[in-house]
Amino acid sequence: MNIFPFNLEPSLCFYVVVYVLTLVLHAIFMTYVLAGSIYLAWASMFPGKTAIVRARSPLAEVLRDWMPFALSAAITAGVAPLLFVQIIYRQEFYTSNLLLGWRWMMVVPVLIVGFYLLYVVKSKLISQWSLAARGAVTVGVAGCFLFVAFCWTANHLLGIDAARWPDVYATGAVVSSVVSLASRLMMWVSGAFPVMCMLALWQLVYYRRRATDVASVDRQHSGPQFVSEIRVLARMGLGGLALSLMFATGYAFTLDAQIRGEFISDGIVWAPFLVVGGVFQATGWFRLLKSEGDSFAIRVLISVGCLSMLVAVGFLREMLRISKVDLTVVNASVKAAAGVGGFELFVGFTILNIGLMAYCIRLVNRRTTGE
Amino acid sequence: MIRNVHASRLIEMHMSHIYPVNDYGPLMPGLVMAAVAIFHVFLAQFAVGGGFLLCYFQWLSMTGRNQYAKLFVHGYFKVLVMISFVMGALTGVGIWFTSIQISAPTIGEMVFNFHWIWATEWSFFCLEIVAGYCFYRYHDRLTDKAALTLLVLYTFAAWASLFWINGILAWQLTPGSWVESRSIADGFFNPSFWPSLFFRTIVCLTLASLAGCVLVNMIPNLDRPAQQSLVNRAAHLMAPMVAMPILGVWFLMAMPPDSRGWVLGGSPAMMLFFMISVGASVAIGGYAVIGLWMQRLYINGATATLLLLLAFGATAGGEFVREGSRKPYSIRHVVYSSGILPEEVAELRRIGCVSNDPFPLMHEPGLPNETVTLGAKVFRRQCAVCHTMEGSNAVAHLTESWDADQMRMNIAKLQQTKPFMPPFAGTPAELEALVSYILWVQDDRPSEYAVSEDQAVLQQIAKWMDEAGTQAATVTSMEREKR
Ligand code: HEC
Ligand code: HEM
Repeated sequence: MNIFPFNLEPSLCFYVVVYVLTLVLHAIFMTYVLAGSIYLAWASMFPGKTAIVRARSPLAEVLRDWMPFALSAAITAGVAPLLFVQIIYRQEFYTSNLLLGWRWMMVVPVLIVGFYLLYVVKSKLISQWSLAARGAVTVGVAGCFLFVAFCWTANHLLGIDAARWPDVYATGAVVSSVVSLASRLMMWVSGAFPVMCMLALWQLVYYRRRATDVASVDRQHSGPQFVSEIRVLARMGLGGLALSLMFATGYAFTLDAQIRGEFISDGIVWAPFLVVGGVFQATGWFRLLKSEGDSFAIRVLISVGCLSMLVAVGFLREMLRISKVDLTVVNASVKAAAGVGGFELFVGFTILNIGLMAYCIRLVNRRTTGE
Repeated sequence: MIRNVHASRLIEMHMSHIYPVNDYGPLMPGLVMAAVAIFHVFLAQFAVGGGFLLCYFQWLSMTGRNQYAKLFVHGYFKVLVMISFVMGALTGVGIWFTSIQISAPTIGEMVFNFHWIWATEWSFFCLEIVAGYCFYRYHDRLTDKAALTLLVLYTFAAWASLFWINGILAWQLTPGSWVESRSIADGFFNPSFWPSLFFRTIVCLTLASLAGCVLVNMIPNLDRPAQQSLVNRAAHLMAPMVAMPILGVWFLMAMPPDSRGWVLGGSPAMMLFFMISVGASVAIGGYAVIGLWMQRLYINGATATLLLLLAFGATAGGEFVREGSRKPYSIRHVVYSSGILPEEVAELRRIGCVSNDPFPLMHEPGLPNETVTLGAKVFRRQCAVCHTMEGSNAVAHLTESWDADQMRMNIAKLQQTKPFMPPFAGTPAELEALVSYILWVQDDRPSEYAVSEDQAVLQQIAKWMDEAGTQAATVTSMEREKR
């Protein structure tokens, strides 16, 4: 079967699947943080002319409120793919880390700064600050996360460019092609918006239903404000989708022709997921633009579209990378890794922990004393 | 058999791959690593112990044993989230990144052998943040029982993550029968697993207790008797410290004899850190035990902060000992600190350790000729993790009083020169080049530098290397040396 990843050796196929699935989990939270922080920066710089300024809109409130958690979740979810990427691409990953050097070591401090700034953004204090100060803080937050995204993309591109390693070590020029880095990074940044909008849509609807949380959000949730907010989401979702397609196409043109050819032949199985994902999302967002309010079916349609696209992108992304590494080394090392044991342990405890997490969430939904 | 497959795989992979080495200036990467590690361990242990403390206080409040306990639970959890939850997770990622900078082969081997243990730990991280965040966000609306349930789940997850990582860290020092069997269970439940798990758990409780005392003193509008009652309760978590001496001895007994030797006097630096750690623990324990004994302990904010600083010192000392006592290995019997594997040494002596090193030398301009350049590369590959040329632990200074022949011999017999160094793993020509490089630096880096290509010298070096063998120094060989 010449369908990626099933055309790989069994052990490698197994690790690639586990890797991609955990990376998708990371991407879901990471995009929320990335697109959310950019939206908040924009909202505080351009308050708009409506009755409620953008920075006080339900969407902004929800984002501010949930961003710190989403960042914790993005970080935690990032640990699993971080583990598997070292199993599959040990040499490439470590070498690019080392070549990025202090730039790579900045990721953690920058995330710490970003995290505490998120709490500043969430606090009541900041609403009393001047527009300039608020703008500076929110732009700062977005800048932090953009920098982190840049590092991951630069790291990825450097890892698959082994021929350049000695040169990069000598010159410190970690970016070989600004065009390919920028288009790839922008693909992620713009692609983050549809995912964030999908998640925020569920949140806004949830808050409208249950008048339990964040009082101010609930108040504004009724009537016209809610409808206009959904339209904002729809517009951002559609815009992000279109832009990310554009940047992805741009990125594809930076690949060499042979790889692009293989990409199309072996990766064809993922094309329907991309197309269907895109169509589902576009249809859903259009419906929301046109109609008043939303429906459960539309939300599911958008979510399925989003997930299917993320999974397809995850696998296609790996296909490109695997075509660039030395498969004999990777196969030997992954095969040996598959033999060390412990997988059952992971499965057992993960099932237990998923159960316990579900129990926690049920607990806060049921066992609250009310207000 | 399995062992052989493993070894040949590693040799194949490492021989063909050399990682670039970053020069982070006069601060040895080891120090950076130690700083991040100490910070992380301190925060993470605080997060685990904090869970226990909160469960205890929630129970005190629910059973009516202390009416102020609830106030504390809600205040303390915010601190726990803001400081340790977040910083704990991020500094954890930080350690990972730093480890890669210092020794990619080491972290690579750890991940390779224990990735499913790590993945299991990860699933507990997920539970930890979900339970923790549920409590954080909804605590003022939860029923008491639901709040306790969430706290217990949070604590269970946090402690479990300690349980899992403890196995991997203990394995680095005492792989035990894993070396032969390569069984993940043998590696995980290695000789120092249990003493180190119990020890760390007690440290967690102590840190949380001390931080609790600091915090009690910061709760506004709480009168002295109320504060006193809370401090007394928080101090209960220090009671298990009485078991520390026994656990400490157990841990020392589980250590390999040579590592134990460093700690107990073989290496002055190591012993100093060990004494700092012991001394600080005794001070904290003494304060707590006497206080508890007298039933009227009160720790004010300043004292508690001081004790917490002492605890930080103890953690720092302990981590230094843990890192340092593994020398010359970064994973005992598996990887040397230099990133070279024991199985590779013989082969590298034949084919050379830098013959396929593609990375140019960046931080040593003005190298006069190919031999000296080769020497600088050898230094970067084999010595730079522990030494600098002229900064801290500088080889140029350490060898100042030696003539060229002494240098050749002492480096050829590196593991005998100081048993916490690995055997030299390169060709005689590479060793001679290294010596030329050291001499060139000692001569203030002249732009012209003559090097000898005397075959007799190379033969003598080869003879010395053969005499020392390709194995690390063992305790017996060290003792023979002493006699
Ligand atoms: C595992 C870490 C480590 C590695 C790798 C290592 N050393 Fe050392 N070396 C040490 C330590 C620690 C000392 C003790 C320093 C002291 O006593 O102040 C030392 C001491 C020395 C000394 C002084 C010995 C004496 O008797 O005074 C020399 C010379 C030396 N090292 C050279 C080298 C060279 C050359 C290499 C590379 C081929 C190397 N070392 C690799 C850790 C290391
Ligand atoms: C807000 C913070 C973060 C942002 C915005 C972010 C963004 C990204 C982006 C854009 C990518 C894709 C790179 C590409 O394909 O070009 C990525 C990949 C990844 N991220 Fe994150 N990330 C964040 C935090 C983290 C953290 C803290 C971790 C680790 C714990 C992590 C682990 C990973 C891993 C392992 C990958 C895959 C890398 C690879 O396959 O080469 N991320 N991240």
